[in-house]
Amino acid sequence: MSLARPVKTEPGETVVRTVCPLGCGIACGILAHVKDGVLVKIEPGDFPATSHVCARGLSAAKLVYHPDRLKHPVKRLGARGEGKWQRISWEEALDTIALRLKEIGDRYGSSSLAWVATGVAAFSNLATVGFAGACQGTFILPAGFGDAAGPCADQACYGAPMWFGESYTMHFDHPAFCLMWGNNSAETEPFKWRRIRDAKERGARLVVIDPRFTTSACKADEYIPIRPGTDAALALGMMNVILDRGLHDTSFITDHTVGPLLVRSDNGLFLREKDIGPGESENYIVWDTRTKAPQSYGMPDVAPALTGIYTVKGVECKPALRLLAELAQEYPPDRASEITGVPADTITRLAVEYATTRPAASFRGMGCTRGSFHGDLSFRAINTLAAITGNISFDGHAYPQYNQAAFLTHGIPSFVTLLQMYETILTDKPHPIKALWMTRHNLINQDPNFNQVTRELVSRLEFIVVADMFMSTSAQYADIVLPVCSFYESIDLAPPIGNGSHMYLQLQQKVIEPLYESRSDLDIFASLAKTMGMQEYLDKSAEEYVELLLASGHPSMEGITMEKLKEGPLPAALHSVPAFATPSGRLEFYSERLREFGQELPVYLEPLESQRRPLALKYPLSFSTTHPKYRLHSMFANVAWLRELDPEPTLEMNPADAEARDIQDGDLVRAFNDRGEVKLRVRVHQGIRPRLVNVCEGWSPGDYVEGTHQALTHETINPAQQAIYEPNSAFYDTLVEVERVEEG
Amino acid sequence: MRKDDKVAKRYGLVVDLERCTGCQTCTIACKVEQRMEVGSGIRVETVGGPHRDTPAGKYPDLSMYYLPIACMHCDQPPCRDACPTEAIYQRPDGIVLINEEKCNGCQECLPACPYQALVYDPERDVVRKCSLCFERLDQGFEPFCALCCGDQAIFWGDVADPESQVSQLIAQRNAYILKPELATGPAIHYCPPKPPRRA
Repeated sequence: MSLARPVKTEPGETVVRTVCPLGCGIACGILAHVKDGVLVKIEPGDFPATSHVCARGLSAAKLVYHPDRLKHPVKRLGARGEGKWQRISWEEALDTIALRLKEIGDRYGSSSLAWVATGVAAFSNLATVGFAGACQGTFILPAGFGDAAGPCADQACYGAPMWFGESYTMHFDHPAFCLMWGNNSAETEPFKWRRIRDAKERGARLVVIDPRFTTSACKADEYIPIRPGTDAALALGMMNVILDRGLHDTSFITDHTVGPLLVRSDNGLFLREKDIGPGESENYIVWDTRTKAPQSYGMPDVAPALTGIYTVKGVECKPALRLLAELAQEYPPDRASEITGVPADTITRLAVEYATTRPAASFRGMGCTRGSFHGDLSFRAINTLAAITGNISFDGHAYPQYNQAAFLTHGIPSFVTLLQMYETILTDKPHPIKALWMTRHNLINQDPNFNQVTRELVSRLEFIVVADMFMSTSAQYADIVLPVCSFYESIDLAPPIGNGSHMYLQLQQKVIEPLYESRSDLDIFASLAKTMGMQEYLDKSAEEYVELLLASGHPSMEGITMEKLKEGPLPAALHSVPAFATPSGRLEFYSERLREFGQELPVYLEPLESQRRPLALKYPLSFSTTHPKYRLHSMFANVAWLRELDPEPTLEMNPADAEARDIQDGDLVRAFNDRGEVKLRVRVHQGIRPRLVNVCEGWSPGDYVEGTHQALTHETINPAQQAIYEPNSAFYDTLVEVERVEEG
Repeated sequence: MRKDDKVAKRYGLVVDLERCTGCQTCTIACKVEQRMEVGSGIRVETVGGPHRDTPAGKYPDLSMYYLPIACMHCDQPPCRDACPTEAIYQRPDGIVLINEEKCNGCQECLPACPYQALVYDPERDVVRKCSLCFERLDQGFEPFCALCCGDQAIFWGDVADPESQVSQLIAQRNAYILKPELATGPAIHYCPPKPPRRA
């Protein structure tokens, strides 16, 4: 292959251009040095103009050759979680799985067989969905593990699929002002951070809003501390200032948002032609300020009203922007300040700067969407702030669309969202789930309410299969554990996820042969299909599936072939997409669909377990579990190179909270609530807000002195999120108390 | 090309502390390139609070930046003078190296380095440190940490050549050296973090 730049190699080495497809989603390019079939070195692989790699991706050979890698299938001996295993052959593993799936399917119905998978690489997820479909089983939609609230908001506002809503507010080519909301991309999305940094170097001022003083915050021109989970109130306070001072962009609002559409006061629905005239037309109605009469939206020479109250055929109506303004009126800076803890004059100044320094970019992070049970409303408020100031970009749509049907040839599974899964397993509604297969998702370690999962859910599951590279927390509860190979040992496709880092499709190449008896997910499902008598399912080679996925015929895939991808990354072709795939085709800061939840507008709702709830009398500290810089969720936690830098889990605590509890830096402490507890050492420092404590997540129970951080979190379903996309795990919307415990 | 070939080359690094996010990619890159299982030829210190990744100040008036530290490839290397086996030497281009054949692992050089840039490797029973990836430089490649740095914060070059990119960065950004009072003559220079801009 041809490489973009000269690469230093040792004698006998070849270099393969592949990709790091791990869960941060960025998909950095990788040049893998191979000698005698061994991966000897990893270095960054160029995109045409740049390259990027992080400490984690660069350490991946330590995962590949880790002494603890699973080398062959095992079956459980003794009780679940007891840790006694017996080596079995692949044949026995597949025969056992086939038999148990058949027994359970016959007894409880095929939808009682469930699969879950996550990740960026295309095959492993699609093959898992497809295999679940071929079994007429259930696929657990996994975004609720903390990633679902953003897409909820972007579905409501933009009609945009997962993460691609980000591109509307990033303005990467030319932002004049950058506002980061609960986003610490300097640590968690470093490739994206570099683009923010570049904007700053070109002159954009950077402001970071976060309860923690993160690396991103230390690089900012201004750090704005905020009470956890209150971002929507801050955005509403800013809207109050902007609308009050007339700094909003009336032409953008009129042309691209639902702002001018009349909303009926009697039922909250948009007024439509059929409401006021003959026929059944669903066309929207605006109030024309010239003729002082209602007009169908889209008629020429109409000057739609954005304010005022109008009576049409006896029905009182207001333009949607007026309703937003009424909501924002409830949040003057003083009140927004009382809620958020951000000084009122800071809110006013920030609002003016955001509205008048254009284009102003917003970078939204999971601090917002995990920080509140209503995290989708936080993102909707941020999107709305961008909409009313015209800070929305239509540039650069290049969403790659695969031929996903290539893997869905034998049926579509039932879908259950991750948080619904808890209730489904407990109640058998809408159907039982009795077998669960986890791959590429360490569910028991990474999902909320560990004690409920391990004490109640696991015992109701009659059969658990885990495919993993390691004996993960989830694998420890399995009946059969299958050794899966690493991403250096199998072929796959890695798309860009739309968070702005890059827009390239990359081929994950098979750099070395699978180690030991490990197999790729695709191979595992293909061999199980044969064992189960479904030979015709997954009967193609990995290379053929790459070709099939690329052959979607979608304009985004034009000119992209496997042969070309072997040479290097290819950009997804720019193609036109509907400006907004919402019901109205406009940016919907007012959503009819969310009326039943009282959330048609981006209202501020107090987090479920905030410090202002009665529960805070018992558990006064907010508890967050932010993304780590030395791990990628639970991946890399077992890599000694990174462990040198971050040896053990710690609880971050402000000195004021430590003093109040007679806690010294380095003490052993116990964080607890009604759901569970975790014991670990405390790290007392000023970089965390008083009354907030934090653990950088990814650690497993074995890393703690006792318990685990997920024993404190909850899986409460937000029905509005369930209605619009998937309910999210509000991991950081959690209250705890912390006390010092004696050593030993 | 250099204007005056008579002036000796002086290879060094310029680290842009405004860009460095403390991501530790350089730390790992050094382990990869130099095959160091324990420790690294470069470490990233947090300039701030009591722990790694914590700030100075009182919430919310806080500050923090990161400081990568490697062998400074000093003009007058104190480690060289401390080495009883004469294992530490300096190339004509300024790169300070340890001859592992001569090093007996006595570690007397460790406390002599004012930058704590030397690391004892128990596997090999030798002291190790940043070699500025001289094998790579000699073949026309950049140091591996500079290649891998996700922040594009590490620049390498001839700091004696006023026309070089590194010399120009040193001039433009008022780059500084660590512990100038010791007169060790470090070849690693730091561009300071920029002050925040007010609204």
